[in-house]
Amino acid sequence: MQPRAEMVHWFFGVGILFVALCLLCEAIVGTEVWRMRPWRAYLWPGLAFGLGVLLWPVMAFFTNSAIHMYAHGSWAEVLMLAGGSELALVRGRLTSPWWRLTWPLAFVVTGVAFIVHEQNSWLFARSAFLHHTLGWTFLAMAVFPLLLLWRPSSTALRAGLALMIVAVSVQLFADRDVAPVFGHLSSLAGEQHR
Amino acid sequence: MKALLVTLVVALAFPAVASAHATLRSTTPKFGTELQRGPQTIRLRFDQSVTLLPGAVRVLDGVGRDFAGPARVVGTDVVAKVRPLKLGAYTVRWRAVSADSHVVSGVWTFGVRGPAPAITAAYGAGGPTTLEHVVRWLWFLGLALTIGALGLRLIVLRGLAVPRALDRKIAVAAGGGAFVALQAGIGAFSLRSEDALQLPFGKFLYGDLSPMAETRFGRAFIAMTLAFALVLAFVYLAWLLDRVEPLVPAFAIALVFVGGLSVSGHDAVDPGSSWKTELADWVHIGAASLWIGGLATMAGLVWFGAPELRRAMFTRFSQMATVLIALVLGAGTYLAIVRLPHLHDLWSAGYGRVLLVKLGLVNFALLWGAFHKFVIGPALERADEGFLSRIGRSLAGESIVGVAVLLAAAVLVDSKPPPRPGPTQNTAIVVHR
Repeated sequence: MQPRAEMVHWFFGVGILFVALCLLCEAIVGTEVWRMRPWRAYLWPGLAFGLGVLLWPVMAFFTNSAIHMYAHGSWAEVLMLAGGSELALVRGRLTSPWWRLTWPLAFVVTGVAFIVHEQNSWLFARSAFLHHTLGWTFLAMAVFPLLLLWRPSSTALRAGLALMIVAVSVQLFADRDVAPVFGHLSSLAGEQHR
Repeated sequence: MKALLVTLVVALAFPAVASAHATLRSTTPKFGTELQRGPQTIRLRFDQSVTLLPGAVRVLDGVGRDFAGPARVVGTDVVAKVRPLKLGAYTVRWRAVSADSHVVSGVWTFGVRGPAPAITAAYGAGGPTTLEHVVRWLWFLGLALTIGALGLRLIVLRGLAVPRALDRKIAVAAGGGAFVALQAGIGAFSLRSEDALQLPFGKFLYGDLSPMAETRFGRAFIAMTLAFALVLAFVYLAWLLDRVEPLVPAFAIALVFVGGLSVSGHDAVDPGSSWKTELADWVHIGAASLWIGGLATMAGLVWFGAPELRRAMFTRFSQMATVLIALVLGAGTYLAIVRLPHLHDLWSAGYGRVLLVKLGLVNFALLWGAFHKFVIGPALERADEGFLSRIGRSLAGESIVGVAVLLAAAVLVDSKPPPRPGPTQNTAIVVHR
């Protein structure tokens, strides 16, 4: 019934990578070209909102500790808020650019939740290390949408944000071992532990 | 300020100084199983090796006698021998230290030649607190606001020329209700788990809640969380696109899944419970939510937001409320008869006294509603603007009484009905704080 944690991490890794690639494309070709097909404007904000909705099942099904539940719940909420605000800005339902502050808010909440919900130290295990780096990546990433409020057309800032999100995606992929799902890829890895 | 920032950064950089974690993968016997004979050992399988504390595993009967021998670590397992167990209900409480010194803990139950008690009835579990009543009330309020706002827009205002700004406000109200319902659901689940685990907050954060997730309450929490997240998404779409259509699935989902409270409450487990009591409770909660939430939305948003709709809306809501009140009263009367074996339970049992308070509030709201229907309704056609404004305030007053009814309902749901005459069940003793 409950999907494996590995699958869930990889699923969200794919989703976030897609968001990042859309942002990168938009940064490279410029917003005008990116939005030549109107639906593209809705693509990554809609995806972010959808990922937020899909985080609710993760919150509800993974209850092996209260703090995990709260972390997943907070990510679901801030991703829905930020994605939803961006969609509303694109659609014209919201007009104030200050609504884009929901992105730094989302990144800060996500980063703090990553760091606080990982109870082990940096070098305890790979996943612990990556949870810490993910947390700090999100905290650093919060600077980009903040600066974009003042320099909205800066290619460097937009590309930087996109690349930071790519980094998040890569870390999410690497956060879980392949062995529990596919077995060890090399016999040198020895006996499988779980 | 600088010092605060530095402290925050340092605290985030070294969280492991304060905490660590191991996750329980499986147990033997499993959560909530009924065994034909007592287990010889208790086994807990973790995802990493743990260190044992004194009393790491305790197997407690209904009066708190411990049947577990000393525990030992075997790889990533913790194993404890168990002395022979008689017929009865048992609680396993465990705690261990993760590899980097954080204490993790949990609880589950099993039965020997009898059903396992609910995790909330585990030995040492606490009863509902005032905070739980408040959170349950907020849950009801969120559900009522969502269902009421959606129902008002889709049923009462159907076919009327609703201003776009009002449509958006109704969507915001429904979304706000769904958001509150989600937060209150998480709060209620956490508090119920805390009752079972009996841990201070710092340790509770690392407590294993999965046994609670496998209870009826836990399953209802999961289903309602997923459902109201979807409701929130649909309501958001309606607001974003300025369309009413997404509100239809949102209303349907909210109305169906409000029944999660019925499936997880007394109507599902107490003696005398059946699918009929669950159905009656669902009708009771659904109709009351639509009535009270619809009334609050009408008084708070529509009455002053769209004065041109007042007369038509008042008449239509009055018709709908008549049906809803009939459903609330019919289902409520049936449930009261099932839950209270004797009439004197109404004043002699705690549950009955709360029910009396609720009945008093419901009657007050009904009288107020009848005044609106039979006195205000006919006078509405020739009413001037000042009179209509006063009606708005009166409607707000009636909805505040409705909110008080929900508070009484929240306390009632957390209370236990008096026992029915007949053979008693073999359950673990609940220690109330």
